[in-house]
Amino acid sequence: MSTTLYWIQGGGCGGDTWSFLSAESPDLTELFDILSIEMLWHPSLSALDPQSKEQLDRRILEDEIPLDILCVEGSIIQGPSGTGLADTLLGRPKKDLIGALAEKAFHVIAVGTCASFGGFGTDQETEATGMQFHKHDLGGFLGKKYKSKSGFPVINLPGCPCHSDVLAGTLSALANDLPLELNETNSPLDWYRIMVHQGCTRNEYHEYRVEEKQFGEKGCLFFYMGCQGPLVKGPCNKILWNRRSSKTRVGVPCFGCTRPDFPPRHPFFKTRNIEGIPIELPAGVSRAHYMAYKGMAAAAAPKRLIKRKSGI
Amino acid sequence: MPLNRSEGDLEIHFEIDDGMVSEARSAGTMYRGFENLLKGRSPLDGLVITPRICGICCTAQLKAAVKALDMIAGARVPDDAIRVRNLTLMAEQLQNDLRHTFLLFTPDFTSPAYREHSLFEEAVKRYRPLKGEAVIPTIRETKKIIEIIAILGGQWPHSSFMVPGGVVSVPGQNDIIQCRSLLANFRHWYERRILGCTLARWSDVKTLEDLDLWLHEKPAHQESELGFFIRFSREAQLHQLGNGHPNFISFGAYEMPVNTGLKAPSAGFLFPPGFFNNGAMNPFDQEKITEDVTFSHFKSHGDPRHPFEETTVIETPHDNTEAYSWGKAPRYDGYPAETGPLAELVIASNPLIKRLLDKDGPNVFIRQLARLIRPAFLLPAMDCWLKETGVGNETFYQKNEQLENGRGFGLIQAHRGALGHWVTLEDGKIAEYQVITPTAWNASPRDREGIRGPWEEALVGTIIKNPEHPVEIQHTIRSFDPCMVCCVHTIEGNRPIAKILC
Repeated sequence: MSTTLYWIQGGGCGGDTWSFLSAESPDLTELFDILSIEMLWHPSLSALDPQSKEQLDRRILEDEIPLDILCVEGSIIQGPSGTGLADTLLGRPKKDLIGALAEKAFHVIAVGTCASFGGFGTDQETEATGMQFHKHDLGGFLGKKYKSKSGFPVINLPGCPCHSDVLAGTLSALANDLPLELNETNSPLDWYRIMVHQGCTRNEYHEYRVEEKQFGEKGCLFFYMGCQGPLVKGPCNKILWNRRSSKTRVGVPCFGCTRPDFPPRHPFFKTRNIEGIPIELPAGVSRAHYMAYKGMAAAAAPKRLIKRKSGI
Repeated sequence: MPLNRSEGDLEIHFEIDDGMVSEARSAGTMYRGFENLLKGRSPLDGLVITPRICGICCTAQLKAAVKALDMIAGARVPDDAIRVRNLTLMAEQLQNDLRHTFLLFTPDFTSPAYREHSLFEEAVKRYRPLKGEAVIPTIRETKKIIEIIAILGGQWPHSSFMVPGGVVSVPGQNDIIQCRSLLANFRHWYERRILGCTLARWSDVKTLEDLDLWLHEKPAHQESELGFFIRFSREAQLHQLGNGHPNFISFGAYEMPVNTGLKAPSAGFLFPPGFFNNGAMNPFDQEKITEDVTFSHFKSHGDPRHPFEETTVIETPHDNTEAYSWGKAPRYDGYPAETGPLAELVIASNPLIKRLLDKDGPNVFIRQLARLIRPAFLLPAMDCWLKETGVGNETFYQKNEQLENGRGFGLIQAHRGALGHWVTLEDGKIAEYQVITPTAWNASPRDREGIRGPWEEALVGTIIKNPEHPVEIQHTIRSFDPCMVCCVHTIEGNRPIAKILC
């Protein structure tokens, strides 16, 4: 029997969809074949007649067609002034349809940071929020108590965008009824307990505190350039992007896009620091010990790193 | 009626008299408030935030954003950085042109409206969503070509590797070799499957007679995606659909590095800037751009203003106002203008496109043809620039002054057409940020003279053969490659005239 999937977009850029198209081994079409996923609807990829789409929605809501997996991309737009009219379908707030579908779905996946935590537009005139979280707080659009028919809360796959492997892996687990262990923000542990920093090719520079102070210098980006790699969870440097690289590897700081409070208010390309040491340190470290360790590491740095002779 | 397979949400409100569209209004149905979200932030933050306007053209947003900051910083951008910026944008454009054609546009050829079309069954075979024989290789090949962006810029979508003064990455020899292999593979596929001939053979097609000769020359041409598209379109008479304003605008695409072996076809660009007005070519001057809010739910400041003077202040819609859109109406020298691949090729005086335009005016067929053949112009230029990258003593980044005060604009050709960012900095912060996207030009509402926007105009007069399957409307709008998530200040039009599901 096939697994039905319905994809809906709220306040988003479509980036999670385009990221998903980069899925590899299996690619998107192979994945759907392997898992017997029947895509009922995707706003960018489907060619359903308008009447058939309206009929599909009605039949799902009247329990005539089972909805196994609901993927939500983009934030839930509740503004202006709670009306939801900044994102509508046929004149009605889109959030109403999203809420109704979530009541029918066996599993609900929030694809990307906006759907998970609100992302762009939280605390703005669009009053964006996530499916079941508003930034760090459980609740969001569906509320603290929400469970899909499977008994799971909304499964959050943050990232701006969400990595295709993360979504493909989650779909595979759900379609095969495999256990999925979630962390404190309801994201699968497999991809969200590793730090972005792990696997970065600049790690040797990080180790000896050889830091970049201006773009293109070859060095670690953590102390001055705003990189959040050691602070933030995500598999970017383990599974890589587009099978090739990552932002931090080429010299773009990690902006912490999997964080519940992304995007932050403070400047992206600048590390907030006290006396040259970042304010935010890797989880669990003591500031005094960290300062001592980094001071010694810098003193022990080999010349080849100081001269930026090492590859990245 | 809601229209899917546009990036973001879009509803078209139209009136039909005797089977013909007599009036049309287009309204985006989502407002995300990106311009106002940027105010008060650090100048470089636009490089992270504006790519998130759009998931399919994020590299284009990044390039417009960085060019505005280059201008404010007075940055001299090294040649190799110009190459990396161009190459990544071109890779994204190849992805866009092919995905738009085979994932977003041609699925309409599988509509029941075409049951009687002699090529219907083959169209279904080729274009069925996620299954079609043209769809599967498109997904496979486009994701490979964007690996170039990951190699040079870290990831796709949503990287921020371009900074004022250059790019942050320092690609090594092996990175460039990898990019060249990816490009060679893509070119091979494009020649074999999309064109059915070599780029050299295709470049000989300059007249209508040439096009017919090419089509009938051999089965490989008729069976290629281009050949099939032409044959299907001719029987469906797509050249008679979507005739709009005869005005085109291009901001100019792909500026030349100072030292390059590539011959600049015109004035330092691969595709020159210009404004084509009813048969006459005019030089482009960004001072002539204004935004009209007469029919938009934005606070008016009197006369239409240049984007540097414009602010985005929303007004609550009331049913009794004339306003029907949250999109603004960009105008050039007072005129609405179509933008996109067709505009680029018209302004570049491409002989085939010019002749088709002279014969039938702007239409659905020629818009989509321009999009499908644009890669043929990009591929040789990419090959040249990849060979030149990293071979001299040039750096990829030039340090420049702290960004404190000043204003600058970044104007580029994104995949859907003219994209502009106008940025004002005060005391090291963003004081004002205005974005005019390609879709804002094409999806523009009326202006104070009552002149319709390009796709509204293209819809009026359309004959709808079967109201249950209004493919004519779908073709017309999709031929502009609509991107409603790009309408950064677009919201629901509140006065639907007719609502027919599309």
